[in-house]
Amino acid sequence: MNKIRDAINRIDLRKFRFWIQLFFFVLFVYGAYFSIDLGRELPIFSCGYNRETGGTCYFLALQHQLARPWDRLFSTASIGVLTGFLTFLAWFIIFNKAWCGYACPLGTLQDWITSFRKMLKIPYGTYSQSQYKVLKKIKYIFLFIVIVFPLLLGIGLLDGEWRGAFCKMCPGRLITPLFSGDVSQWTIDFSTNTAIFLTTFGLGFTVLFFVGSFIKKRFFCFFCPMSAMHYIFSDWALFKLRKDGEKCTKCGDCYNVCDMQIKDIADDVTSKNILRDDCIFCMKCVAACPEEDALHVDILNMKVFTSTKGGFAKRMEIDSFKKEESDEK
Amino acid sequence: MKNRRKIETQEERQNRHKAMESVAILDKLKNDFSKPLEAMDYFYDLFERVYCKRESLHERSVKVGTLCIQVPYEIIYALDAVPVRLCNGFHTDDEIGSDFAPSKACPLVKATVGQFSSGNFVDRPDLVVSPTTCDQKSKAGAIIESMGYPIYDMEFPRTKESEESREYWRRSVRKFAKDLSKELGVKLTRNKLKKTIQRIGYAQYLYHRLNTLRKSDNPPILGVDMFLVTNAFFFDRLESWIEAVERLVEECAAKTEEESATYQNSPRIVYTGSPPIFPNLKIPLLIEQSDGLIVADETCSSNRMFNDMISVDEWFLYDMVDSISDKYLKGCTCPIFTKNSDRIRRIINLVKEYHAEGVVYQAFAGCQVYEMEQRSVLGAMEKEGIPILYLESDYSPSHLGQLTTRIEAFIESLKNRRRKKACAIS
Repeated sequence: MNKIRDAINRIDLRKFRFWIQLFFFVLFVYGAYFSIDLGRELPIFSCGYNRETGGTCYFLALQHQLARPWDRLFSTASIGVLTGFLTFLAWFIIFNKAWCGYACPLGTLQDWITSFRKMLKIPYGTYSQSQYKVLKKIKYIFLFIVIVFPLLLGIGLLDGEWRGAFCKMCPGRLITPLFSGDVSQWTIDFSTNTAIFLTTFGLGFTVLFFVGSFIKKRFFCFFCPMSAMHYIFSDWALFKLRKDGEKCTKCGDCYNVCDMQIKDIADDVTSKNILRDDCIFCMKCVAACPEEDALHVDILNMKVFTSTKGGFAKRMEIDSFKKEESDEK
Repeated sequence: MKNRRKIETQEERQNRHKAMESVAILDKLKNDFSKPLEAMDYFYDLFERVYCKRESLHERSVKVGTLCIQVPYEIIYALDAVPVRLCNGFHTDDEIGSDFAPSKACPLVKATVGQFSSGNFVDRPDLVVSPTTCDQKSKAGAIIESMGYPIYDMEFPRTKESEESREYWRRSVRKFAKDLSKELGVKLTRNKLKKTIQRIGYAQYLYHRLNTLRKSDNPPILGVDMFLVTNAFFFDRLESWIEAVERLVEECAAKTEEESATYQNSPRIVYTGSPPIFPNLKIPLLIEQSDGLIVADETCSSNRMFNDMISVDEWFLYDMVDSISDKYLKGCTCPIFTKNSDRIRRIINLVKEYHAEGVVYQAFAGCQVYEMEQRSVLGAMEKEGIPILYLESDYSPSHLGQLTTRIEAFIESLKNRRRKKACAIS
């Protein structure tokens, strides 16, 4: 048992993530080819506009459901809305934000763009703390659009052209269908002024998605309303990212590797639950932590992946360097 | 017949005094303790070679002298130069240095300045890097420069929490890498830097392995020996140091297995405060001569040099250099920073993890920052119920009687605590 645990803690997280991400990318972008359908309540940006998807982003269904006239929304006819929400919650509660770091096709795509940038040996960009504090709020504005706009539609305060407003703005609608050869979303809808605005925004956001994630690691995730939605329920999730502040030396290794620039991961030594709203649960911080058990991923209080000195040494290739040297001799 | 005695030059006399200081401590380390480690012979021998026989270790290499631990060793090694830390522990040099600094200045700074003023080096530095850490060291840089040494001031922030200071220090390190590469005419390459990060990472890894063994109920190694090992890292050839420590780890690991070979009965102590630097291992030696055992420490001549390791996300120069700078700033528990909560947390954590029974806090008379933090550390220890002894000392061989009495009494009280606890349980 200890051996298994040790092997897990020494895992090469980069490779592990790459294969899992590839698997989920294929599943969610091409799932329909294998007649897989995981439903319409997935907590990731697996876009329903892609006809080959193996499961759909919950926001598409949610916006649709919430846009019902209010008398129907608050009647028994809406039990479906409730069960939909519970299904979403069930999906989410198991894996917590690991959906972002491991399963979301848009997230994976950004990581691939990052790899491409690395191939060109171009340094990544970062935000300053003050920019960061402002930018991270944007995702809550999008979440507001996802939830409140359909409700306003339902009582007739907004016109029908605002239907699925967020989807029209979301880069996922343009990008995911692209992978199954569908470019039809790359257009501006000139039917009304609102439509022009929303689709232009979407197109601009998509261009920004590519440029941004080339420069900044996980650029889009700062703005993702799904990430904001996750955070509301993350306290109930089974997977937990935990920190033992006593063991932390604040060396900043975790902060340094964090794609989302979460400073708390290094500097907060009092919270036990160290998951923050921007977190994508990629576990890079755990892999980069050189202190025994300072950072760990728990399922129901059982440590499944924890930081160890041995694991750190392995991942930093400190051991292999020694081997290389003896080979040279 | 006339007694024809050669008149000793000043330099020869200094060297004789320094050799005497070295021999005095090395003899004690070698002979005063039972259960010696064979692998330690390398280190006894090394200090004898360098400080008594004055053997040069890096004759052919470019030597970069460093005046504090914040100078990134990784970058210096990657540029084919050798870092030599010049923080000095000799009383002889301390006395020479007294002419250049106020009488109440820190002995470490005075001794360092003293060595420069005498110009008496085994491995003379070609360039000296002085990080602006504490006041006295920053000012010492300028004094040393006035003696005609090339000094490079490396700007270092005095707060570490803010993003601004992190960025400021990163810029400082980037500039240092660029300037040093220009100065030495060597290009900093990705592969070389990666290799040196891993090489030093491996040295740190070995240090951590030794420490893991010290955590056990049968700690196999004396604290003074440990200080000697980490002190050797200041100037030894990295490869030889690594090999010697590998042997030491092996021997220690074997030793923890057999109980009678270790020091399991001595009260376990965490040492913190001003750094013991060879040959000023006075306080650690007194502790262990009085039957205490230092199981862990929080000082910049040992733990702080090795504790925090570098992790890199993207193995390119831009990310490596930034990661290196983070290591030297963020995890550092030096008292020069505005807040000291990290240092207190570290001490408490060491006490818990190494099952220590007490803490000895030494401050050099004249080291303001350690003296000023004394109250807060003592307060925090009291709150945690950890016995702590605060000592003030310098490099002079006097006051030994008083120090011995206090240390013996402290260790005796720890033993009493142990007995009381045992009684309470049974």
